[in-house]
Amino acid sequence: MKTEIIVLIAAYTFFAVPAQAQVMPPAEYVATAGASDLYERTSSELVLQTTADPKVREFATMMLKAHAASTAEVKAAAAKSKVEAAPPELTPVQAEMIAQLRAEAGTTRDVAYIAQQKGAHGQALSVQAAYAKDGTSAPLRAAAAKIVPVVEHHIAMLKAM
Amino acid sequence: MKLVLIAGLATSLGASSIALAQSCVSTNSPPPPKQTAAAATPDQAEPDMQSVLDTLASLGPKPIEALTPVKARLQPSAADATRAVMRKKGLSTAPDLTVMTEDIAYGPDPMQFARVYKPAAEPASSPLPVVVYYHGGGWVIADVNTYDATPRLLAKQLNAIVVSVEYRRAPEAKFPAQHDDAAMAYQWTLKNAESWGGNPAKVALAGESAGGNLAVATAVFARDHGLAAPIHVLAIYPIANSDMDLPSRMDSANAKPLNKAMLGWFGYYYSKTKADQLDPRINLVKANLRDLPPTTIVNAQIDPLRSDGETLATAMKAAGDKVEQKTFPGVTHEFFGMGAVVRGAYDANAYAVSRLRAAFGEK
Repeated sequence: MKTEIIVLIAAYTFFAVPAQAQVMPPAEYVATAGASDLYERTSSELVLQTTADPKVREFATMMLKAHAASTAEVKAAAAKSKVEAAPPELTPVQAEMIAQLRAEAGTTRDVAYIAQQKGAHGQALSVQAAYAKDGTSAPLRAAAAKIVPVVEHHIAMLKAM
Repeated sequence: MKLVLIAGLATSLGASSIALAQSCVSTNSPPPPKQTAAAATPDQAEPDMQSVLDTLASLGPKPIEALTPVKARLQPSAADATRAVMRKKGLSTAPDLTVMTEDIAYGPDPMQFARVYKPAAEPASSPLPVVVYYHGGGWVIADVNTYDATPRLLAKQLNAIVVSVEYRRAPEAKFPAQHDDAAMAYQWTLKNAESWGGNPAKVALAGESAGGNLAVATAVFARDHGLAAPIHVLAIYPIANSDMDLPSRMDSANAKPLNKAMLGWFGYYYSKTKADQLDPRINLVKANLRDLPPTTIVNAQIDPLRSDGETLATAMKAAGDKVEQKTFPGVTHEFFGMGAVVRGAYDANAYAVSRLRAAFGEK
């Protein structure tokens, strides 16, 4: 009888596991946030080379600064939680988006950049909010929580562009 | 005593498995258990369609049905693949500047806003027709940014104002949050159309995939709440039938970019209970479909949702509605946004535009 009870408890524990969060492991969060920041900086540098629109210039300049800051934030938190942060790499889609910006010039690059920013910031918010909620490393969770309102502010700005 | 204790444990085990039938509200909640895959090989797509699918594969997508929502939202989309093909062909991927956009809130949640597309040409002498458009993504992934092609095309080709509705997504906000937002945005549009230069007497509803469902469900809502009826409904590969054994669920079970397992995955995240998935707002074929506006349903042959559109057309006809449904061969789910590079999509765009143009009383 005792054995059966133990088996049942074990089964209960096994089935209960999937109900908990399956948050990104710390290294994956660091890589994902790093790639997103790298895309932000690369795309903003590209548009700054050609734009004649002061609003686009102001926004892109702000992105360079803000996404360098969030990378530093995540890097420091990664060091604190002893997570190895490899140099960030663009995902295939991010690399394709950069190639698309390179293929445009002048005003069309400006509008392509803004359109990309709207999509990319929605994804960035999704990643940061998810890690801030359930992340397993406390320093990284705190970094994500700090980045969430910054990304929300960028999204609010983009809605007016 | 011991026996009773064991029975109690067994019951609680049973209850916990039932609780797992739907996800919790976190975007980190793990995917549902893997289902046994059907063996069916989907039909071969036309070469231009296949080239978009191949490009999508080259962007390294992971299977959505095995991911958490947050990771699913990062996967390359059919729209990403379409733009990549356009760039390879030397076409511009920048948004068409003959259409301007403005993001305007219709509710207090940051996701409750609409992207209003307007033709950039000088204001017309008479108010423009209006299309309220709902994007797809199974109510869990994608947003108004992912689905830019269709609203932009409709605004340009119809010389209309298109209101592309963002809505709260699951699992953070579960069913019927999306249906509530869709209805709220429709009422808001009726109220505000005039101030944008639109004609509130000429408002149509449109949507793709989960958004195709919202278009029809919102027409039902308008009828039941005494709102002005939309002049026409354009439902593009809508979710409309909860039967998982429909012909297209079988023959296109392993199609791309949408497969049958993803439909189960969406249901797991958008619903609070299994019963939600049978609600007539989801399972439209079982809704009261009488007295709905004239409707156009567009489907793709290689799509697990093909039978949804076909059975919805049958059910609407039986209810006495005017419905036209077309299934386009050699194309897949999401093809409608690929008109720049896929011939079948170009044809479907032209068909849908001609139907809406006729509804608006134009040539």
